[in-house]
Amino acid sequence: MFPPARSGLTRCVVANRRRRRTPDVVAVTVAAWLRVGIAITAAAVGAAPHVLTTRQTALFVLLGLVWVPWTVVVLFAAERSGSQWALLGGPIGDVVALFAVEVLTPSATVAMVAASLVVVAFAAYTVGRAFAGGLAAASITMAVVAQALVPSSARADTGVLVSFAFAALAIVLLLDRTSAVQFRTSADAARLRGTADAVLTHIADSVIVTDADGVVVGCNPASERLLGRPARELVGLPCATALGLRHDDRVLDCSRGCVLLGAGAELGEDVWRGDRERRQPVLASATAVFDDDGRVLEVVHSLRDITRLKEAEEAKTLFLATASHELKTPLTVIRGFVELLRDEIDVDARALALETVHRRTIELGGIIDRLLLSSRIEAGRVELLVTTVAVLPLVEERVIAMASTTGREIRLDVAPDVAGAAGDPAALATVLDHLIENAVKYSPDGGAIEVTVAGGSAVTFTVTDQGIGMDAEQLAHCFEKFWQAESSDVRRFGGTGIGLYIVRSLVNGMGGRVWATSRPGSGTSVHVELAVAASEPPEVERERGEATMIREFMRQIGVPDGSE
Amino acid sequence: MRLVVAVANLTLGFVYCSYGVMTILDLKHGWRANGLSHFGLAWIAMAFTCGPHHLEHGIHLALGRTGGPLDLTAVLVGAPAGIGWFLLRVEAVAGGRGDRFVSGTPRWVAALPAVSVVYLVALVGAAAFVLRNGGTFGPRVVPNVLLLGLYGLIGYYLLRTQLHNRARLDGWSMSGLALTFVFPTCGVMHAVFALYASSGRYVVDGHGLVIDWLAVPAAVYFLWVVRGLYVGGRSDWNRGAVGVRLASAV
Repeated sequence: MFPPARSGLTRCVVANRRRRRTPDVVAVTVAAWLRVGIAITAAAVGAAPHVLTTRQTALFVLLGLVWVPWTVVVLFAAERSGSQWALLGGPIGDVVALFAVEVLTPSATVAMVAASLVVVAFAAYTVGRAFAGGLAAASITMAVVAQALVPSSARADTGVLVSFAFAALAIVLLLDRTSAVQFRTSADAARLRGTADAVLTHIADSVIVTDADGVVVGCNPASERLLGRPARELVGLPCATALGLRHDDRVLDCSRGCVLLGAGAELGEDVWRGDRERRQPVLASATAVFDDDGRVLEVVHSLRDITRLKEAEEAKTLFLATASHELKTPLTVIRGFVELLRDEIDVDARALALETVHRRTIELGGIIDRLLLSSRIEAGRVELLVTTVAVLPLVEERVIAMASTTGREIRLDVAPDVAGAAGDPAALATVLDHLIENAVKYSPDGGAIEVTVAGGSAVTFTVTDQGIGMDAEQLAHCFEKFWQAESSDVRRFGGTGIGLYIVRSLVNGMGGRVWATSRPGSGTSVHVELAVAASEPPEVERERGEATMIREFMRQIGVPDGSE
Repeated sequence: MRLVVAVANLTLGFVYCSYGVMTILDLKHGWRANGLSHFGLAWIAMAFTCGPHHLEHGIHLALGRTGGPLDLTAVLVGAPAGIGWFLLRVEAVAGGRGDRFVSGTPRWVAALPAVSVVYLVALVGAAAFVLRNGGTFGPRVVPNVLLLGLYGLIGYYLLRTQLHNRARLDGWSMSGLALTFVFPTCGVMHAVFALYASSGRYVVDGHGLVIDWLAVPAAVYFLWVVRGLYVGGRSDWNRGAVGVRLASAV
């Protein structure tokens, strides 16, 4: 189980604390330049008087010929981020130079001790307390040593050194603490920014930030996809222009502030963008970012493309209407004949009524089977057992059965060299049934229905009718769920609009492919291509009797056939 | 000899100051389009410290300072490179090419390292001769020693750039080559000055001291820029490949 978010955050902070501190590059560089300037100035000052003592001469020559070059080396090292020469070498050089001044110019001891504090403070800020503490200790030691080396008359007061020690300790602790807090805050901010960037980059929802005047100041990649424009074009545009949101038929007017802010809908407002022909439904919401005075700084808009959701809703509505219609028609007939059977009627009429009720019941069963199979496919609960299918007997069986059921003439043409197909026999039978049923349904004026099976590198089944056909756009959508060529087709031809969806799902499940070719008014051909099976097909009984019915039943409810 | 050294130093001072003015004009023209040029600023700083140093030295020589043969030698050795480079700059300012391409490595170019070594050994020997009776080294001489090191380093980076370009182009930029030698020869001039100052021949006066100490930060700045351009950590007006960048600037 995951720990609560707060705990996770705390752990991250602890991890950051353990991470090595990143030095302030700007501070190190500026300090390096300052050091060069101070060293040159110090050396130059010593060159001004014409007369110097031996100690002073030695000091200024040392400063000029040792400290100045050293500071230049440190300056160049500071150009490399995190260079130890710059981080450690600079302060060490400073302390040594200060020690030299203390020894060679005793009158400057107090000033040098104060300068040491500056060096220690800088080290505490840029490197950390361990190094700064060591540097402070070294400075104190050097100051004590310097006092021992200079004449007793020139020695500084002991109180100065004690004060320096305490001041150095306080500076080290305080600056280290300040630096650590700053580093931690900076690391947290960087981590949060990284997380926010990752979320905004990969989130599917469009996030667009505008300033208080409604001008776009930023957006994520999902916004580019939703709005169809690159971010560089969106930034700087007024919100209304960039988003183009509409509610009902009016454009959302953001001139007096963000309308979405006042909408109050927790989950967002149902709006749309685009034009009347190509509406893009969008779920939009907005939240304001305030400054300390409560004024709106920025507005964060969130847009979710709900086109697919709307399509699914429409499909569901269509499905309910279609299924209701499909179920109601045979039920009405059944109810009529059952009421007729309750009366005294002659034997012939009774037989006709029973036959009709039987047929309609089978029809109802077929519809329910299809719906069940569709929902099982949707839920991923249909398992196919791909094996070697004996093509000829299976196709013959389904053609004969469908010709008998529909009363239509169906021609069968199977190439002599057709090998066994790699597929699930039950699924393939369902596929052929749906294709033949569709061919019958969409060729109401008759015309031959033809089933051909071609061999070669793959086994291709083609079901062709001479019916109403489809145009290019209809062809592009005909395998989608609950789709029919025209909404009026539901009333005209009946059906649930899931037959070809089932066909595509089963064929894909068998590793094959399905496609259709058609022209309006010239009929339709649906092609199913399955791979050639690796092994020879088994001998299949042509007459299965009871066993075939059981298999058929199991096939219809989607149970894999254990006899295969 | 004193007057010859004075004239040579005055000429060099005039050359440097003139080039400083040319660089200021160049910087002014290109400022808006190209932004800040550290290279240009560093050059101006260099020109207006080196130029005054030579002018001041020349004036003092003209007024009676005893010029030494090493001083004359150092100026004369550096003069061809310095004047040649300056004339090419003048040509560039006038709208000309401002450079000449030396194809391959002619004998005179190939001989330069050996000649330089001989020159340096001779100078060391001469320095030992000058200091045979001892000398006094004080803080007033320090800036000249620092400038010797700084100019030597600048020359080193410029030489690396020229070698990089030679490998790429199979030839040399005359302007780049000249400048590469200008800096070490300038360094030698400061070394000779320090030598004569330590031996007591020259007296370091206040003017020269101020100018030389100002030349130190200017040289540090110029070295910082040149090194940055060489290692690729800095870009300036002349963008492109690292080696070419510097060559086209000089």
